[in-house]
Amino acid sequence: MALKDDVVNAIADILDVNASELTENEKLYDSIGVDSTEMVELCVSLGKKFGIKIATNEITKSSTPLEITALVEKKKQ
Amino acid sequence: MKERVAITGIGVVSPAGLKKETFWANLKRGNSFIDEITRFDASLYPSRIAGQVHELDHYSHLPSRLVKKIDVFSHMALVASEQALQDAKIDLEKVDKKRVGVFMGNAIGGWLFAETELRDMYIEGREGVSPYMASAWFPAAPQGQVTIYYGFKGYSKTVVCDKASSALALWYGAKIIDEGKNDYVLAGGMEAPITPYALLSSNTCGQLSKNNLMPKKAYKPYDLYRDGFVLAEGSGIVNLEKEEHAKKRGANIYGYLKGVGFSSDGYHYSRYSPSSESFEYAIEECLKDAGWAKKDIDYICLDAEATVMGDYLETQALKNVFGKELSHISLSAPKSMYGNLLGAQTALDLIVTLFSMNHNLVLPTINYEMNDPYCDLDYTPNVAKERKINKALLFSRGRGGINVVLAVEK
Repeated sequence: MALKDDVVNAIADILDVNASELTENEKLYDSIGVDSTEMVELCVSLGKKFGIKIATNEITKSSTPLEITALVEKKKQ
Repeated sequence: MKERVAITGIGVVSPAGLKKETFWANLKRGNSFIDEITRFDASLYPSRIAGQVHELDHYSHLPSRLVKKIDVFSHMALVASEQALQDAKIDLEKVDKKRVGVFMGNAIGGWLFAETELRDMYIEGREGVSPYMASAWFPAAPQGQVTIYYGFKGYSKTVVCDKASSALALWYGAKIIDEGKNDYVLAGGMEAPITPYALLSSNTCGQLSKNNLMPKKAYKPYDLYRDGFVLAEGSGIVNLEKEEHAKKRGANIYGYLKGVGFSSDGYHYSRYSPSSESFEYAIEECLKDAGWAKKDIDYICLDAEATVMGDYLETQALKNVFGKELSHISLSAPKSMYGNLLGAQTALDLIVTLFSMNHNLVLPTINYEMNDPYCDLDYTPNVAKERKINKALLFSRGRGGINVVLAVEK
């Protein structure tokens, strides 16, 4: 649970949105209308924050915070 | 033009104020808004003074999520566009957004954003560069940001031709209205050259004043001891629509764009031709396009490069074109108060001229102290002068001799 909260807060921080706008099962495009350059920013900045590498095709506008958390968890292992 | 193109809304972001009322009130006093550069350490630059815009954030209602993705030149354009739309009292819920366009000019693009990212690229590699860089730096970015923010889908364009950029953008915008392609056009320009690299490259052109010890006295066009212009940042945006359209919806009309004249010196990449012939041709073409006689002109808002040759050539062109009629025409360079906005300079010249028309007041050319025998006209030195203005010309010259003259009518 702690990692999920960290990921949600990191997404909110990177994209300058309120964390309450993000719903764990909702696609980023549906919840906050994320655009393609913001997705690149998200890949790079999440990677830096969690010490991993995320390719731009691994998370998309259709990813949910839960899916992103699962990816971060897998890469950290 | 077949139709009269009316100016019905004004937005201004400038060193002399971030709202049209403040801008006008400040300029009427004839004070200088030039200061030492404070944004970064410019102490080793030959010219380290400028007209800077402070407190932009206080006048912006843009979400921080957007502001972090754009350069300051887009930010200024968004603020000025918002003001122009509000001033024109356009109900954005009711307009057909496919018939609203944006025509804007700038000379150098968004360097404040670009410089930081390029530095990061050389330090951290390609992953150090923000993906927002791709859409933040280039000259058409403000056009894109304004159209995206308001959802405008009409014909739009960005014009880049050095200091004549916004003059041409204003003209193309008026042409599109005249041709009936759009109902509304936001037209003007924006420039943000107060950044380490943009200032450096502007310095290398050798046309900036080095009077760093007396910033407020530095920009002194037509004075014997002039040593170049002073850079400034800001944005001027006006709303254009057909006269009939404006009257039908009861809009306030500040004035009309009436004609244009263009020419190129075809002489050197940065200097003007030592003959003012080509510039004179642009003035004559503008008069012809507007259908005006020389004696009809009340006021000319000057280009005022404040270099030895620039001011001399402008004076020569005035004498050669207008001859004896010059004694009836008021001349001035209000930009001596807030600086030269490069690609956005004519947008602010237009706004100043519209206010002058509506308040019957010619703003002065400040810092004029010593007469130059080669620049011996009455440039309205230091103090504003009451005068009724119905017809005016705006002079704009880009480096290398890109000449644009606009005709504006009350």
